[in-house]
Amino acid sequence: MLEIPTISVAQFLGLVNQTLRSIPSETFMIEGEVADFKISQGKWVTFDLKDESIDAKLPCFMTTYQLGLPIQSGMRVRASGYAKVFERFGKFSLNVSSVTPVGEGAFAKAYAMLKAKLTAEGLFELARKRALPRFPQTIGLITSKEAAAYGDFIRILSNRIGGITIVHANVHVQGQYAVDEICAAFTTFNQLPVNERPELIVLTRGGGSLEELHAFNDERVVRAVFGSLVPVVVGVGHERDESLCDFVSDVRASTPSNAAELIYADRRDLLRQVAYIEDRLQDRLTGRLSGYFARIERSTMLFERTFIGVGHRFQGVTTGLSHAFDRFRLSIVATREHLERREQANEQRYRLTLERLSSGLKAFERLLESVNPDTVLRRGYAIVRNARGIIRDPLRLAVGERLTLHFAEGEIDTQVIGQHKQEKLL
Amino acid sequence: MVKKQTSFADAFQELETITAWFETAEVDLDEGLKKFERGLELAQMCKHKLAEVDNKVVDLKKKFASLEAMDVTE
Repeated sequence: MLEIPTISVAQFLGLVNQTLRSIPSETFMIEGEVADFKISQGKWVTFDLKDESIDAKLPCFMTTYQLGLPIQSGMRVRASGYAKVFERFGKFSLNVSSVTPVGEGAFAKAYAMLKAKLTAEGLFELARKRALPRFPQTIGLITSKEAAAYGDFIRILSNRIGGITIVHANVHVQGQYAVDEICAAFTTFNQLPVNERPELIVLTRGGGSLEELHAFNDERVVRAVFGSLVPVVVGVGHERDESLCDFVSDVRASTPSNAAELIYADRRDLLRQVAYIEDRLQDRLTGRLSGYFARIERSTMLFERTFIGVGHRFQGVTTGLSHAFDRFRLSIVATREHLERREQANEQRYRLTLERLSSGLKAFERLLESVNPDTVLRRGYAIVRNARGIIRDPLRLAVGERLTLHFAEGEIDTQVIGQHKQEKLL
Repeated sequence: MVKKQTSFADAFQELETITAWFETAEVDLDEGLKKFERGLELAQMCKHKLAEVDNKVVDLKKKFASLEAMDVTE
């Protein structure tokens, strides 16, 4: 009897799963309608993917983290993943790695649902939007190197400004890797040391259909933009709808080129600004200087005026002095002359006076001589006195009275012996 | 990625500070001249920086290497 090999349940399920993995399921999407959509413990997502035409259903399993856009029962989606039998429950399901709504209606619905949810959470609040640094030296750029957006952004930025460092994170901007890569780029930028971290991040891509833009409407990417440590400029070239990343961005640009324009003013404008500042500085300084010069001039003038005044006064004084001196000198001369004249005059006067006096004296002498009693006595006269004095009236004398007779040469004593009335001699 | 000693931003900002100082302060002549000279120097620096044409593009590599290795196609 042929021995049939025996294996365990786990071993068998292992074989089954190995076989299931050989299906190249990640190379295609499975399209169907969502039914029985459930989220348990806020983490595990289960739903059935059903075919409308034939009665067929595929149980699906995924985590909320993998769910970029919210889906709900009745929504048409495309899912990709791999098939697996969970050993513990013996249940077959598709392990979904990505699921996206199909068709405008479904997409729009999912988009509206997520937008409402994130709005309620406050992710789009204007108050939390940060201003861009004025002149960022380092800019983080998250986009695909293959995309036109990359070239546009760098070209426009270089037209406007030079000397900037752009740190580029090369990512898919659509397709199944886009969400993970964009999120990883933000995480990496956030983890850089502050001095190496760009001053702002630009997340950009060209336009596309709503489906192509799915990553920019993915909750994980929206949260990554929200969680960026530096301001984020989102520039998605699209016309109709705004992506949720536009809403959550700090600054929204309409295109990749516009993102560059919003970050930097044109170098010509900046040059004009610098030139203006330069002029202004010059003006201010010139203004100040002319102020000083005016003050210096005023002081000089004041000084000059004062000095000239003093000079004039000095001159006045000296002139006055010399005049005074002249006058003084003249007056001395005049005085001397005057004195000389006076002297001469006086001399003359003295002489005259003396002459007059001497002639007067002679006359006086003569007069005196003439009245001198001695002279009279010498002419033969005598003075008669008694004890009382000179006798002028002989009739008052008594006979016998004693008298003295003064002669020129001597006296004699005598006595009245008789009296006679005088008869005129001549 | 390490910032330069004097970036355009630094120079421009200092230039603006000096301008503001001239607008408000009662300008001391010595200091004013010093600041004016510095202002002209900064203005030159700004012009010089603005004359730079090239921007440098570096790839973000740290911890992103695994993603970098991928063939990025649109």
